[in-house]
Amino acid sequence: MGSKVCAILADGINTAYHGLPVLQRFSLQVPEGELLGVFGPNGAGKSTLLKVCLGLVPPVSGNMRICGYRMIRENVPFVRKLTAYVPQSFDVDRRMPVMAAEVVMMGRFGRMGLFSRPGPNDHLAAGNALDMLGVGHLAERAFGRLSGGEKQRVIIARGLAQEPRVLLMDEPTNSLDWESQRRICRLIREVHTDRKLTTIIVSHDIDLLADTCDRIVLMEQGCIVMERDPSEFRHCCRGQAHS
Amino acid sequence: MMDLLQDVFMRHAILATFLAGVTCSCIGVLVVTMRISFIGVCMSHAAFAGALLGIILGVNPTVTALLLTLVSAGILGPLADRGNFSPDTSLGIIFSSSLGMAFLLLSIVPGPKTEALGLLWGNVLTVGRTDIFILAAVALAIVVLLRLFFKEIQAVVFNREMALASGIPATAVFYGILVCSGLTTVASLNAIGGLLVFSLIINPAAAAYQIASDLRSMFLISALFGVLSGWGGLWLSCLLNLPSGALIIVFSTLIFLGAAAFSSLARSRRNSVAVPYLKGERE
Ligand SMILES: Nc1ncnc2c1ncn2[C@@H]1O[C@H](COP(=O)(O)OP(=O)(O)O)[C@@H](O)[C@H]1O
Ligand SMILES: [Mg+2]
Repeated sequence: MGSKVCAILADGINTAYHGLPVLQRFSLQVPEGELLGVFGPNGAGKSTLLKVCLGLVPPVSGNMRICGYRMIRENVPFVRKLTAYVPQSFDVDRRMPVMAAEVVMMGRFGRMGLFSRPGPNDHLAAGNALDMLGVGHLAERAFGRLSGGEKQRVIIARGLAQEPRVLLMDEPTNSLDWESQRRICRLIREVHTDRKLTTIIVSHDIDLLADTCDRIVLMEQGCIVMERDPSEFRHCCRGQAHS
Repeated sequence: MMDLLQDVFMRHAILATFLAGVTCSCIGVLVVTMRISFIGVCMSHAAFAGALLGIILGVNPTVTALLLTLVSAGILGPLADRGNFSPDTSLGIIFSSSLGMAFLLLSIVPGPKTEALGLLWGNVLTVGRTDIFILAAVALAIVVLLRLFFKEIQAVVFNREMALASGIPATAVFYGILVCSGLTTVASLNAIGGLLVFSLIINPAAAAYQIASDLRSMFLISALFGVLSGWGGLWLSCLLNLPSGALIIVFSTLIFLGAAAFSSLARSRRNSVAVPYLKGERE
């Protein structure tokens, strides 16, 4: 192992759904503290990549390490506590009897373990996360009745309340209006600089990734086909689009 | 009324409706919020069919009911998990096929069919000591489990994938909930009946869903509605001399309608006061 531990180290990962391959000999290294953007068309396997990082989709073959821990059965519950996940879609009924503050507190539940109740530390972490995402005033509101952008911010706050070492976000600005998109981007960037949190953002919005990330990779058909700095990346993709 | 209370059957009935009301409505909160009612329907029919099978084979109906219920949970849980399951169609298919199965078994039952029919409609006025003990044990177990694992249950109810991803044993919680709903159905079979128990699971919880603002209060409101339905139905059945199970369901449906009307009224009033210029509801 080098001087700097890789937060995420994927080596020759293959995955399949019902026999259909998705990730194919996929390899990726994300050093600690990096903000990585994953760009690519629908069906490229971006969401699947994040799910493999969380042990939600088991790889058929290959090696995955998160913060140095191999993703084997015994390690999965532990690794999940180190990684926070903002899924691509979370369909929650409008009437769901859960308040925004409770949603954020749920981020702590995994770390707290069974049979324990939220203590002062948990309330502090949840409160900080709410404030950081600017949703403190929504704490007492029913989650199901918030707007799309508010929900998204609450879910990101839930991830931060977990105090993770790795943050995985799947299309965090999808279905948001332009202004909310900008706002979420800025927040992600702020959180990243503030906590030096290793972050992966999956998106098919080039501008979002170029404005936010340290490095961007392009995924197609389960492989990384290109890897660039944000400024070059925008240029390359534009070029491709025109050709 | 005092005479009625002194009657041992009546005392049993009051206790049984209380216990069944609490258990069914608490399980109902989970079934309603997790949108797994199709699994619940199937399990209540499986319990009924299982009990009939027990009668036919001459073994304890409660045991066979429990077995068949758990088997159906074991089949439906993974199917629902894999997502190759559209609740709407499956509800139709499962409802009709499990009901057909139950009626088929009913026609095979030898001799007089009173016991078998009793399982269909239930009768709180004939529940015995054993039934009450079983109901009490299941009620206690469920209340204790809800308290012990409240935060895990809350996270799973909110979103199972996110709960799992944050290190909560969401799969175990999900299957635990399925097993508990199976136990509840089986325990309520004699008192409420295999056809009706599912309404007592859904109606009070659906009513509480209209008004509760957090999960804890939803459990409390739902339990209150469940007990009210049970006692209300029992009272009506004494008054009108009609089957108790059916009246319990009628009562719980009335409570649901009341709650739905109350919540839509409250919301329209709130909206018209706070934002008079908004036509529709804000998303
Ligand atoms: N649960 C699933 N079952 C079967 N196929 C799936 C499932 N999830 C994703 N897929 C398939 O895997 C491929 C990659 O999906 P995904 O990782 O979601 O892509 P992306 O997020 O890049 O759009 C797609 O072809 C999709 O149809
Ligand atoms: Mg995706």
